[in-house]
Amino acid sequence: MSVLAVAGVTKRFGPNAVLKNVSLALGAGEVRAICGENGAGKSTLVKIMTGLYAPDEGAVSVDGKALTIESPQHAQQLGIALVAQELSLPPALSVLDNIWLGNREVPLFHRRAALRRRARATLDKLGLADLALDTPVSALSIGRRQLVEIARMLTREARVFILDEPTATLSDVEIERIFAALRTLKAEGKSVIYITHRLGEVFDICDTVSVLRNGELIGTRPTSEIDRGTLMQMMLGRSMSEMYPRWEDKSDGAMLRVKRLRVPPLVHDFDLVAARGTVTCLAGQIGSGAITVLRALAGLIAGATGEVSVQGTPMRLRSVTKAQAVNVQFISEDRAGEGLFLRLNAGQNLIATKLREHCRFGILLRGKLRSVAAGLAAAVGVDRTRLRSPADELSGGNQQKLAFGRWIGSDRPGVLLMNEPTRGVDVGARAEIYRLIRQFCDQGYCIVMASSDIEEVLGMADVVVSMYRGRQVARYRRGEVDMQRLLADITHPVAAA
Amino acid sequence: MSELAAPRRRVRRLFGARQLGLIIRIVAGAAIAVFALSTPGFLTPLSVNALLTAISFVGCVAVGMTFITLTGNIMSLALGATVSASALIFLASLSLGVAPAFLIAALFGTVITAAQGFLVGYFRANPILVSIAALSLLLGAAAFATGGHRIYPGGAGIEFFKGRMGAVPVNAMFFFATVIVGQFVISWTRMGRLMTMVGSNARAAIAAGIDITATVTVAYAMAGACAAIGGVLLAARYGSGDMELGAGYDYSAIAAVLVGGTGISGGSGSAWRTLIGVIVIAVIEVVLLLRGFSEQLQYLITGLIVLSVIMLHTLGERRQG
Repeated sequence: MSVLAVAGVTKRFGPNAVLKNVSLALGAGEVRAICGENGAGKSTLVKIMTGLYAPDEGAVSVDGKALTIESPQHAQQLGIALVAQELSLPPALSVLDNIWLGNREVPLFHRRAALRRRARATLDKLGLADLALDTPVSALSIGRRQLVEIARMLTREARVFILDEPTATLSDVEIERIFAALRTLKAEGKSVIYITHRLGEVFDICDTVSVLRNGELIGTRPTSEIDRGTLMQMMLGRSMSEMYPRWEDKSDGAMLRVKRLRVPPLVHDFDLVAARGTVTCLAGQIGSGAITVLRALAGLIAGATGEVSVQGTPMRLRSVTKAQAVNVQFISEDRAGEGLFLRLNAGQNLIATKLREHCRFGILLRGKLRSVAAGLAAAVGVDRTRLRSPADELSGGNQQKLAFGRWIGSDRPGVLLMNEPTRGVDVGARAEIYRLIRQFCDQGYCIVMASSDIEEVLGMADVVVSMYRGRQVARYRRGEVDMQRLLADITHPVAAA
Repeated sequence: MSELAAPRRRVRRLFGARQLGLIIRIVAGAAIAVFALSTPGFLTPLSVNALLTAISFVGCVAVGMTFITLTGNIMSLALGATVSASALIFLASLSLGVAPAFLIAALFGTVITAAQGFLVGYFRANPILVSIAALSLLLGAAAFATGGHRIYPGGAGIEFFKGRMGAVPVNAMFFFATVIVGQFVISWTRMGRLMTMVGSNARAAIAAGIDITATVTVAYAMAGACAAIGGVLLAARYGSGDMELGAGYDYSAIAAVLVGGTGISGGSGSAWRTLIGVIVIAVIEVVLLLRGFSEQLQYLITGLIVLSVIMLHTLGERRQG
């Protein structure tokens, strides 16, 4: 009998059905992946399972009993727990307090000893034996916070754990911790629904996978019976002949030279030479300094020092304006926080850095700007009709394209710095972004990107620089490094130079 | 977290956030119009004139406040004192002639407020705290300079501001000009667009290479200039003044900005909306006055209106994740 099942569920918003006749059943001890592009209906399905939305048609059943999940609280009472992408742990409270926060079992006066003992046991079970109960959550990494959140759900006797892209912002080591915790849950007979963009994880950790596309359930398969290609084909509705675009050597002279870059306290004496028409990937986990290097080169870090030159022209660090003056542009990993003006429309975002060229005596040439925006939208593949939509109504992929579009269209191609260019972007849009990156290369841009996604690094890079704790571990040309080697480099480098 | 959002979500399930906001706005606008037109004496030249004059003073300050709100700096509590101080400077320098006095007062307001903008932009100082400090400084400096006495005009010429051009009071002409220039700056100039971007997302603005200090300073300078124009109009209206002259205008201005529909969190706003906000509040006040409500009750009702507008905004601005 299934622990949690939905049958024939349809959900409409206005005239659009975002879920159409979806049925799936989750068994005890099953780890089920739910895959689909952005907008496929994954989060709507989760919201129905957790009582945030009521389905328009169809039924939800728990332990074989059809019922209505009234509210998120009701879902919790039924043992359905959501570990959200944005965590709900108050950072100032201790791990112990967070685990028991809001729990119905906690009496007005804490029986501290008993609560501590149970919290301890739960944490140990999840591989957090080294974590002291009184540590404030703010001191923990994102990955550990997720484990604490899982611990909280466990103490509430949850039986179904829904994880919404838990690994989107985690490093590989942390991901392995989460996986270990999930295996523990499975061994105890708990069920897991695992939503992810990363196809590798589906095969690593999940027993079965359900694929949604445009609100319809394409199918549910045991992961042992399908391969990556089949899964991708199910998600996209077409076979993706190649995720990563064909590659030709277009390198043509060093464009960016970095010598002895220091960003206290993380990055020490980092050197880099990147050529025009190439993609250089800084591969590293969170804390490796890869992201920090690019932020420093973009002029965004106050304490950075070092010698940087672009096409022989020295560039001053610590100033965005100075970096832009030598045509060094930056695309942030934090689209909402640092990349886009979410309240402005898509067109205004595209032209955000081009105002100076298109105004006379401080007055904007609005007609000209509109046509520039339309041109840029076409260049990066954003639908022209979306130009007037606020940026926050666009999907992650389209938002990333806006961030790209902002920096192109200049007559002289420069250096493009990108941090995690495909974070939170679904598979389909991801391939498009890779194609764009390659296209910029062909136009003569020098691209330096930092990524913690090894597959992406191997697929895109002409030159790979692996990083660990603020230092370069090794440098490879395309084809000189494989996944195992790179993973070893960025997790525990033994052959560090 | 999400549990708390349930009632809002239920309201929004019926309409969309935007349609809901629009519907409420239309209904409220219609209600106010009916209420006003059915009030005896509302459409008389006398009351329309009084209305136009009244909105001119607070209106100039409100357009100025729009710039501060637009750049994400919420509001300034010093604009009222800036109104008073510019009024006093205008009156005192009238001996030089009306136009020079006007320019001196405007320059004073611009510089004094731009300085606050620089502090906010360069040091990322809390805008409210900076404005409280500026308020204190202005009051102190004025008390020192005037010795606590009222200031009377140092020369002739203020009659010009009390007159009318055709059917429209000169006061209102100045106000409308302020609105038009303000709107032009916000939506047609590069600086206006930069202000919007800084207000929408300051970190993204930094990453895009926008000079935040310059942008915020210019926004505050605009605010100061607008407040000073309001000060000159007020000085001319009352013929003399002290630091009490503009007291409370900062609150009325922010009320108008919010009622007009400019988001308090920055990144959106227009002088048109502020104009509408000013008119709505003034019409309600005039109607209440004509219908014989006491002044205390007028304050109370205005307060309630502002509060409900803010509630309406939170409904519209928070989208579900």
